[in-house]
Amino acid sequence: MLNILVCVKQVPDVNLVKIDPVTGSLIRKGVPAILNPLDANALEAAVQTKEQYGGTVTCITMGPDQAAEALRECLAAGADKAILLSDRAFANADTLATSYVITSAAKLFGSFDLIFCGKESLDGATGQMGSQLAERFDASQLSSMSLLLAVDEAGKTVTAERELEKGVETAEAKLPCLFTVEKTNYRPRIPNLKSWKASRTAEITTLNSLSIPGLDPAQIGDPGSPTKVPRTYPPVVGESGHMIDEGSTEKNVDTLFELIADVL
Amino acid sequence: MNKNDYRDMWVFIEHDGETIQPVSLELCCEIRKIADAAGEKLVAVVVGTLPESETEKLMETGVDVILRVSGTGYGYFNVDAYANLFTVLCRKYLPTAVFVGGTINGRDFAPRFACRLPTGCTSDATELVWDPKTTDIEFIEPAVGGKMMAVITVPVMRPQVGTIRPGTFKYVPTGKRPCSVIEETVDFPEAEIRTRVLDFKADDFDESLNIADADVIVCVGNAVKVDSLPKYRELAALLGGKLGCTRPVFDRGVLPFKLVIGQSGVVVKPKLYLSFGVSGAVNHVTGMQDSGCIVAVNKDPDAAIFKYCDYGIVGDMDEVCEQMLRHLRR
Ligand SMILES: Cc1cc2nc3c(=O)[nH]c(=O)nc-3n(C[C@H](O)[C@H](O)[C@H](O)COP(=O)(O)OP(=O)(O)OC[C@H]3O[C@@H](n4cnc5c(N)ncnc54)[C@H](O)[C@@H]3O)c2cc1C
Ligand SMILES: Cc1cc2nc3c(=O)[nH]c(=O)nc-3n(C[C@H](O)[C@H](O)[C@H](O)COP(=O)(O)OP(=O)(O)OC[C@H]3O[C@@H](n4cnc5c(N)ncnc54)[C@H](O)[C@@H]3O)c2cc1C
Repeated sequence: MLNILVCVKQVPDVNLVKIDPVTGSLIRKGVPAILNPLDANALEAAVQTKEQYGGTVTCITMGPDQAAEALRECLAAGADKAILLSDRAFANADTLATSYVITSAAKLFGSFDLIFCGKESLDGATGQMGSQLAERFDASQLSSMSLLLAVDEAGKTVTAERELEKGVETAEAKLPCLFTVEKTNYRPRIPNLKSWKASRTAEITTLNSLSIPGLDPAQIGDPGSPTKVPRTYPPVVGESGHMIDEGSTEKNVDTLFELIADVL
Repeated sequence: MNKNDYRDMWVFIEHDGETIQPVSLELCCEIRKIADAAGEKLVAVVVGTLPESETEKLMETGVDVILRVSGTGYGYFNVDAYANLFTVLCRKYLPTAVFVGGTINGRDFAPRFACRLPTGCTSDATELVWDPKTTDIEFIEPAVGGKMMAVITVPVMRPQVGTIRPGTFKYVPTGKRPCSVIEETVDFPEAEIRTRVLDFKADDFDESLNIADADVIVCVGNAVKVDSLPKYRELAALLGGKLGCTRPVFDRGVLPFKLVIGQSGVVVKPKLYLSFGVSGAVNHVTGMQDSGCIVAVNKDPDAAIFKYCDYGIVGDMDEVCEQMLRHLRR
C-alpha cells in the first residue's frame, strides 16, 4: 500500500488580475482563486498510481483558510485526505520556508513513498519547490515526469519517463521519490456529481504553527525566508512604434513591406 | 552569518564533456559585469574535463578563476552528487553568489543545495543589478503574468543562488584576463546516488521546432484560429522563417511547447519578428524584445504589443496575413 502525498497550491487566476491605472498596484478584488492548473495534473498522476497499486492519496497545501476550496477540488478528483496549513505566521514565505512548513507537517502523517508536485505555480512560478521539498523529505527526485511506468514496492524503486530538453529519458529512482509532473499524459479527470458532493462536506485537517510540534518559528514565514521582494514596479514600456494606417489592409501591407524591405 | 566573509561570484559550467552549454557562457558574460561592479572575481566551476578549445572559449568570457572539480559520482548528471558538491564547495570557499543555467538539470540541483546550505534561491531573473549600497544582487523578473516587475533580493544570507533561463543574456565575450586554476577533489559515493538512467530516446530532429536561431519568426497569439494555422505557416515559409507562438497557444494544445517564445519558453532574436494576435505580456516580450525589427498586428489599438514594436497594424490578423500572402505571391 503506497502512502502518496500531493502538494497543491491555490493561486489567483493571474490572467484576470488587473493593474490600477492610477496607483499602479494590483487589483486582486474579485479575482478568483483557483487550484494551480499544473497541480491538477500532479493529482491525476497520483490518483492513477493509487488506482493501480493501492494506497492513499493525501493532499497538502499551505495557504489562507480559503485554500480549503482547492483541497476540496482535489478530494472531488480522487484524493482521500486533505491537510490545510494555515496561519498568519506562515505568510510571506519563500520556497525555503514553505517547504519547511509542508514537510514538518506532512511528517506527522507518516512517511510518504511518493510525492507529487506541479512543475510550477501560476503566481510565484519559481519551480523550486519540488527540489526543496525533495531535499527536506530526504527523497530522490524525478523532475519533468511524464509517465510513471512502475512502482516496485518490495525493491523500493520507481521507474518513470521524463521529458527532457532533447528527448525522453527513462529513469529509475529509489523510494521515497518526489516527482514534478508534466501534463502530457495526466489530463485531470472531471469529478462525478457524487464525489463532488462528498467533497463539499469532507473533513479537512487544519493545522497552524502551534499544532505542528517542534516547528521552529525562526524558519517559517517572513523570518524564515532568505529571499525578499523589496519592491515591484510596472514594466517599463517604450513609446508606441510607427503605426501604419493607410486606410486599407492592402495599402497597410504594401507600406509594411516597403518599411521592412531592408530587413528581408 | 557575516556577509563580508563571502567573496566572488560563481558560474556553474554545464557541459557534456565536449561542449559547454551556451547558457553557461552567457552567464559568464553577464556575471563578468556584475563581478566587476562589485570588485569581485568571476569563478567558473567546471566538473570533469573540457576540451582545450572549450576551455579557451570559457576564458574568452574573462573568468578570473577556474575551479576544476574531479571525483566520483559525476559520470552522469544526478542531483545527489551535484547538490552535495555545491554544498561542500560553498561551505569551503564562501562565494557571494552562485549562478546556474536554468536547464532541467540546473533547476533540479540549484534549489536543492540552496535548501541544504541553507540560503535563498531565485529563478528566471531577466535582469541582474548589483546594488552598491547593500552589496546585494537585485534579481529582477516579470511577475503576475507580466503585469508587474518584481525585484528579488537575498539581503542577509550568502551565497545568493540564482538559476537563469537559456538565452536571457547575450554571449558577448570581453576577452581573456589572467586566469588561475584551482583543483578540487570531492568524491560522492556512487552507491548513494538514488537515480539511474535506464534509457534515453532523442526526439526526432525536427528543424521547424528549432526556432532559437531563425532569422524570421511569425508568432501567432492566443487569438489564432486552428483552421488559420496553415496561412501563418505559409507566411513564415515565404519569408524564409519559422512559426512560433505564445504560451496560451501551447496550453490549448494547438502548437508544441518548443515553439513557445518567452520567459518560460525560448528566447529568440530574429532579424524580423512578426506577431499576429499577441497582446504583449511581459512574459512573452522578454523572449523576443531583442529582435532586430518587431512588427505587430492586433485588432485592439491599445494592445501593449504596440509599445514594443517597430511597426504596428491595427486590424484583423487573418485579413492582414492573407494580404501579406497575396503580396508575397505577386
Ligand atoms: C513575484 C514573486 C516572486 C517570487 N520569487 C521568489 C524567489 O525568487 N525565491 C523564493 O524562494 N520564493 C519566491 N517567491 C515566493 C514563492 O512564490 C512562495 O514561496 C511560494 O509559497 C512557493 O513557491 P512557488 O509558488 O514559486 O512554487 P513553485 O516552485 O513554482 O511550485 C511548484 C509546486 O510546488 C507545490 N507548491 C507550491 N506552493 C505550495 C504551497 N503553498 N503548498 C503546497 N504545495 C505547494 C505545488 O505542487 C506546485 O505546483 C516569489 C513570490 C512571488 C509572488
Ligand atoms: C509564470 C508565467 C510565465 C509565462 N511565460 C510565458 C511565455 O514564456 N511565453 C508567453 O507567450 N506567455 C507566457 N506567459 C503567459 C503570459 O502572461 C500571457 O498570458 C500570454 O503571453 C498571452 O498570450 P497572447 O498574447 O497570445 O494572448 P492574449 O493575451 O489572450 O491576447 C490575444 C490578443 O489577440 C488580439 N486579437 C483577438 N482577436 C484578434 C483578431 N481577430 N485579429 C487580431 N488580433 C486579435 C487581442 O486584442 C489580444 O491582444 C506566462 C505567464 C506566467 C504566469
